Amino acid sequence: MKLVFLGRFREIAGPHMSDMAVPCEVKTLSGLQDFLTQAHPALAAALAGVRTQVAVNQVIVRDPSHAIGDADEVAFLPPMSGG
Amino acid sequence: MRIRVTEEAFDPGAEVTAFAGSRRDAGALANFVGYCRDETRGKPVQELFIEQYPGFTQKEIERLAGEVARAQGTLDLMVVHRVGPIRPGEAIVLVAALHAHRNQAFEAVRVLMDYLKTDAPLWKRETGPDGARWIEPTDHDHARRSRAEEKA
Repeated sequence: MKLVFLGRFREIAGPHMSDMAVPCEVKTLSGLQDFLTQAHPALAAALAGVRTQVAVNQVIVRDPSHAIGDADEVAFLPPMSGG
Repeated sequence: MRIRVTEEAFDPGAEVTAFAGSRRDAGALANFVGYCRDETRGKPVQELFIEQYPGFTQKEIERLAGEVARAQGTLDLMVVHRVGPIRPGEAIVLVAALHAHRNQAFEAVRVLMDYLKTDAPLWKRETGPDGARWIEPTDHDHARRSRAEEKA
């Protein structure tokens, strides 16, 4: 599984989180959040903000029970600030 | 639609001129250019950095522009958005709309800019004398976005 942290999440995550091996027991987005709470509590706390969005394979997903697997790219997006 | 996310500095005047010449059925072209300021809230800004999510950012701006084009009946829309390091005085974003008539051209530019502020997957970091900080959209931006949605 490829993890992508954007904006301030990338800075909080640090350089090694995107290469982190996610255990194969993680099968849903909420499972991934539980794993991150153990692996990096400060990052998990930042990700818990109400305006955080999650994209699976570059599609926004709002359902925490959404299934994810080894081949997926999961991205965590802070509130956007374009324009 | 001409949607471009770029690390290169661009010349808004040249972009608009080329866009204007692309349609003979357009009676109106409206455009907006956003620039990097050298101060914010009374403090100097040395550099702005805009991060994108490669692939996704371009696709989402295309989707937002498509929504506006359908709602406003625009003939064509252009968005050029810088990413990477940007210095004060440089253009950050250009939005332009071609329409048969002026009111819809103005409206398309205004609504698309409101969408970009809150919904384009871009993240801004400002560097000033006190260091760097990430900018998040204000409640005011979100309120504008909701109003734009109600009108659309």
